[in-house]
Amino acid sequence: MNQVNDRSRDIGEFVPRPDDDMVICRCEEVTKGEIRKAVHEGMWTVTEVRRYLRTGMGLCQGQTCGKLVKGIIASELGIPQSELEPATSRVPMRPIEMKVFAKEAKEADGNG
Amino acid sequence: MKRYDLIVVGAGPSGLSAAVEAAKRGMRVVVFDENEKPGGQLFKQIHKFFGSKEHKARIRGFRIGQQLLKEASDVGVTVILSATVIGMYQDKELVVRIGDEIHHVKGDSILIATGASENMVPFEGWTLPGVIGAGAAQTMINLHGILPGKRVLMLGTGNVGLVVSFQLLQCGCEMAALVDAAPKIGGYGVHASKLARTGVPFYLSHTIKKVEGTDHVTGVTIAQVDSKYQFIPGTEKHFDVDTVCVAVGLSPMSQLLKMAGCKMVDDPKKGGQVPVCDERGQTSIPGVFAAGDVAGIEEASSAMIEGRMAGVAAAEYLGFMEEAACSREEDELTKDLDCLRQGMFAPKNKGKKIDKTEEGIPLSNTLLTKGYLADDEVEAFPGFTHRVGVHPVIECTQNIPCNPCQDVCPKECISIGDNLTALPVVVENAACIDCGMCVASCSGQAIFLVDEDKGDGTAEVTIPYEFLPLPEKGTEGYALGRDGRKLCPATVSRVRTAKAFDSTNLLSMRVPREFAMKARFFKSGNAADAAGEVAG
Repeated sequence: MNQVNDRSRDIGEFVPRPDDDMVICRCEEVTKGEIRKAVHEGMWTVTEVRRYLRTGMGLCQGQTCGKLVKGIIASELGIPQSELEPATSRVPMRPIEMKVFAKEAKEADGNG
Repeated sequence: MKRYDLIVVGAGPSGLSAAVEAAKRGMRVVVFDENEKPGGQLFKQIHKFFGSKEHKARIRGFRIGQQLLKEASDVGVTVILSATVIGMYQDKELVVRIGDEIHHVKGDSILIATGASENMVPFEGWTLPGVIGAGAAQTMINLHGILPGKRVLMLGTGNVGLVVSFQLLQCGCEMAALVDAAPKIGGYGVHASKLARTGVPFYLSHTIKKVEGTDHVTGVTIAQVDSKYQFIPGTEKHFDVDTVCVAVGLSPMSQLLKMAGCKMVDDPKKGGQVPVCDERGQTSIPGVFAAGDVAGIEEASSAMIEGRMAGVAAAEYLGFMEEAACSREEDELTKDLDCLRQGMFAPKNKGKKIDKTEEGIPLSNTLLTKGYLADDEVEAFPGFTHRVGVHPVIECTQNIPCNPCQDVCPKECISIGDNLTALPVVVENAACIDCGMCVASCSGQAIFLVDEDKGDGTAEVTIPYEFLPLPEKGTEGYALGRDGRKLCPATVSRVRTAKAFDSTNLLSMRVPREFAMKARFFKSGNAADAAGEVAG
């Protein structure tokens, strides 16, 4: 079984570290300590942490912190990063204002 | 809904190359790019490229970009700028933001050539203004003409870190140091040597402990790390800097492919999440291709070939060319690509420990740890020869795929042979005419013309020089060694500039004879005052 799926595995207690207050996700201001704690609270995948803490859900959409968050979760679980699936990619790929998102261009039909 | 034969996402080296190949074969092609200007990273690349003629070697990156844009417009490719592709759906439908409107377009084939984004590494203070990606620094200086700061520390010694550091120097920034947690310099030795000879120190097996400052960077502390990348107490070093650049690798921006349902794989050798592609760049969805950094981090030269392969493959996929013709083209392109993927820095050699060159010469350890060739190491290489009269001295000591020096010498003084990665050899008895083409053409600035004895107790050393202001003939100053230390007084005897040199000036200096094979950089000023000023 994939180690991420085996939730009965004991990963030990959350142990505070000196760099816990370091901001990892800048857009949503989530710290390393919060991410590590989330793992101990049962969030074992990138997607779960994302929904729990909003890491990678801000302006840059995880462009900067995606790899960092993944690394922290993997190291907390004691598994290689490759075992963790990256976050789901969704539309819109880039930040976009709602008024633009809702504004479909009018264009001639067919092969114009 | 608008429909195209090929939609390319990303107007960088691979995207434009693909568009050109497809349009040449009669396809209706559109290229979307989210930036205001096309060219991807090419227009930031002011340095000369490596490779052979086929790979546009010794041409500066931005000129390659200009050529590509011209080719694209000549064959009728439409490039739409400030157009952000925000989604890719089933049946090859793309959603594009252009201006303040959303457009839906469909392609009978699609090429994703979105490139990569910069990695970051967290340390205390990494969110302070003044900590920036090396690529961002390069965008600031080369596209917008803005200095990121005055005194910079670079984290990362891969080619990005090395090249951007040199360009920052050219802009007038002071480089405090280059730092890398790895025990060896990651990029080309020749790029490191360009920095080292100006006096920039390298700290390998070191990384950033913290960046200081309250609302912007005012300093940085680095410390040595052990083999497990843990800090060694007591090894801290402090630098007053206002900018910290981070060059710790790139990640493919492959999200569009993932959301479209392409089969993906996490491949650390390729930089992260990449699509699974066949040899022509086709993903698991027929008709959807990927090329360039998005398919695996490499260089612009290989991205251009990958792009062309994908363009040809898309043409074949839609019946714009016969399978046999396509195969022939792909074979040719594969050969070109294979040529580039040879040598010590080839993707297949990533992480491998290499001690010797292909010729069996031990690699310079000083080069790998301090960025320069030690005087006793350089003698072993075939480009380093002593002879009477002016002659090229080639300090190229790692097997990289590159051969402009062989091509440009009108007297065939320099030989590399058919193997692109072989070290250049100075041909015996060949008559150097002091034209300087080799010096100006070496993308690694590793060739010097030396006349070891001018008959008056001096020697003349000609170096490539790409800094401003350009010293004039007669300027007094001092010569620096490969390690950037002040060696001896020097006088500028000639300064040559020519169109064929493409902005690499040739500065000749007279130095005492005994320094002929050691003096490799020039700084103006009083030699005596400068004693000990240059850090080692």
